[in-house]
Amino acid sequence: MTPSPEKTPSVKLAWAVSWSAFWTGFPLKLIVALLLLAAGINPWEGGGLIALLLVSIPIDIWALGLTARTVFLERLGLDIDAPVGFTLWWQGAVLGGLVLGISYYAVSGAVDVGKKVAAGIIGLIKKVFPHFPIAEQITVELLLWTIPVTILALVLLLIWLKLFGWCIKRLIASSGTTSSASYFERVRQWDSARVPDDVGLMITSFGAAMVLVTIAFWMVLPVTTPHPHQDYQMPEVSKPAKPMKPEDALKKTENSLAKAEAILASLEDAKSKESKKPERKGK
Amino acid sequence: MNALFQQVYDFVEERIGLKTLEAKLMKEPIKGGSRWAYVFGSVLLFIFIMQAITGMLLMFYYIPSADHAYASTQFIIHEVDYGWYILSYHFWGSSAMVVMVFAHMSQVFLWGAYKKPREMVWLVGLALFGLVMAFGFTGYLLPWDQRAYWATTVGVEIMDKTPVIGDFLARFLKGGPTPGQMTLSRFFVIHVMILPGALMGLAGLHLFLFRSAGPAGPFRGTPDELKAKTDFFFPRQVWKDIMAMGVVFLIISTLALIEPVQLLEQATPDPGDYHPEPEWYFLFLFQLLRWKVFSGEFGQFLGAIAIPGLFMLLLVALPFIDRNPERNIFKRPIALLCWAVVMIGITVLTVSAILNREFLD
Repeated sequence: MTPSPEKTPSVKLAWAVSWSAFWTGFPLKLIVALLLLAAGINPWEGGGLIALLLVSIPIDIWALGLTARTVFLERLGLDIDAPVGFTLWWQGAVLGGLVLGISYYAVSGAVDVGKKVAAGIIGLIKKVFPHFPIAEQITVELLLWTIPVTILALVLLLIWLKLFGWCIKRLIASSGTTSSASYFERVRQWDSARVPDDVGLMITSFGAAMVLVTIAFWMVLPVTTPHPHQDYQMPEVSKPAKPMKPEDALKKTENSLAKAEAILASLEDAKSKESKKPERKGK
Repeated sequence: MNALFQQVYDFVEERIGLKTLEAKLMKEPIKGGSRWAYVFGSVLLFIFIMQAITGMLLMFYYIPSADHAYASTQFIIHEVDYGWYILSYHFWGSSAMVVMVFAHMSQVFLWGAYKKPREMVWLVGLALFGLVMAFGFTGYLLPWDQRAYWATTVGVEIMDKTPVIGDFLARFLKGGPTPGQMTLSRFFVIHVMILPGALMGLAGLHLFLFRSAGPAGPFRGTPDELKAKTDFFFPRQVWKDIMAMGVVFLIISTLALIEPVQLLEQATPDPGDYHPEPEWYFLFLFQLLRWKVFSGEFGQFLGAIAIPGLFMLLLVALPFIDRNPERNIFKRPIALLCWAVVMIGITVLTVSAILNREFLD
């Protein structure tokens, strides 16, 4: 029995789509991050972060489209006649931006307040038990502020899921059509959407992509450590002497000798000319 | 080319029965179809193979002597082409193995896959868990820096508190009053010879028992749904396994690049400014032992040996205590609660141990 979209909770629907989409896109983003890291570019800041975010956009659109169609077909028995990936991506991104922005301030505020309250409670406990040991103190303090902060973060996540679930339901209501295929056929349909039936093609394309990524990775990976130990004495590398070529050496010597001979000849010539000159008589 | 390949295939097939082997390995039906939840075992095997490969590469340069272990590790990091990356991959691979063992055990526990008729698979799995922890413990000493030396000292001291065999174990592992050449030699032999052999044997047994009992399948779904989704191991589960292995490889490589191995000072019996602590996956136990209730001779025995020992015994006895055939975790609230408490406890104590470092200086 396939449940109707109206009866499926928004949070459950949003979780099914976004969790699968995250893991579908994650490996591709990780490859990009790894290549950036190997090339010495930090993918978590500056240009690296921008590059990673830009690459993530088409990956997320593709991943959302694939997983949303799978979820609709498997759990709701629905086909969707709309650009699912793009629609859900921009709606999810807008909601994500809003909720993340709020979460940033709410969670960091809660952390500050939580830590202060926890420190106050620990102060009170210490008044009663002056020798309250440090190890127990750390754990109690940690629990005191992390429990409310975790609950707040989970509530904010649920809000995002609820809102995203509404977006998904609206998309289903506007573009969803009930699939006429049996459950067995639908299983094959979504399996084929995720894993191609042509095993040879799948293995070849996957293998080729892996070979390319591997070559790119080894090309940019530093040969020696980018973080040398402060006390490690790198051995002094002396410039290797150029190998001697006997023919060149002979030619060079012959040239030098020829030059010397020419200079000697010219000097002798000049001396003989000088000695042939008539002596000037004095006044 | 195809004709030649066919000839080679026929030659091998005639002699070892490739088709039967292929049918046994690849055509195993998976009740309810392929799932991402089933990838952990294959991923663990992949991590182990990668650890073996990187470990062998490191052994080409590593010298297991107290005089040269530190220098040879530094040489690997600074001089050997890509040595820093191979060593860092090996280092993070060991952590990944511990994480994956926890994930695999959690999945088996939550899915009730330890119940009849899979009790033996569970028991051998527990032994494999012990081996993975032993791998981490023995490998940590090999770089022979302060971190390695003192993590081992702390670990052996904890082991020493085991009744009856503790003293013998500690003396055998150390080979002297303080960690030295004998300790390094023994840890090296255990790490590269005894444990890999034991792990290969037990992993083979684990797989054999698993294939004999068959996969447990999902704990939810009508018989019709399960029948419709039932599929062979190849190609969909194989595909998922390969993808998961790829992701794990990428994560380990990323960690190796973000935080490559950097040694501290060479090991000395004087800790100096260094505050001894074990590897991160034993930090929760280390922090627990700092609690007042676990101070003193008896307290230390209670925290270091009795409680972890009882916990392991409970895990061993689990399939024989929990005989209820219900596998759905949402209908087993006590099991779910126990799992959550253990996981949260380990996380909170590990973070506490990290925060505790500030109070040591």
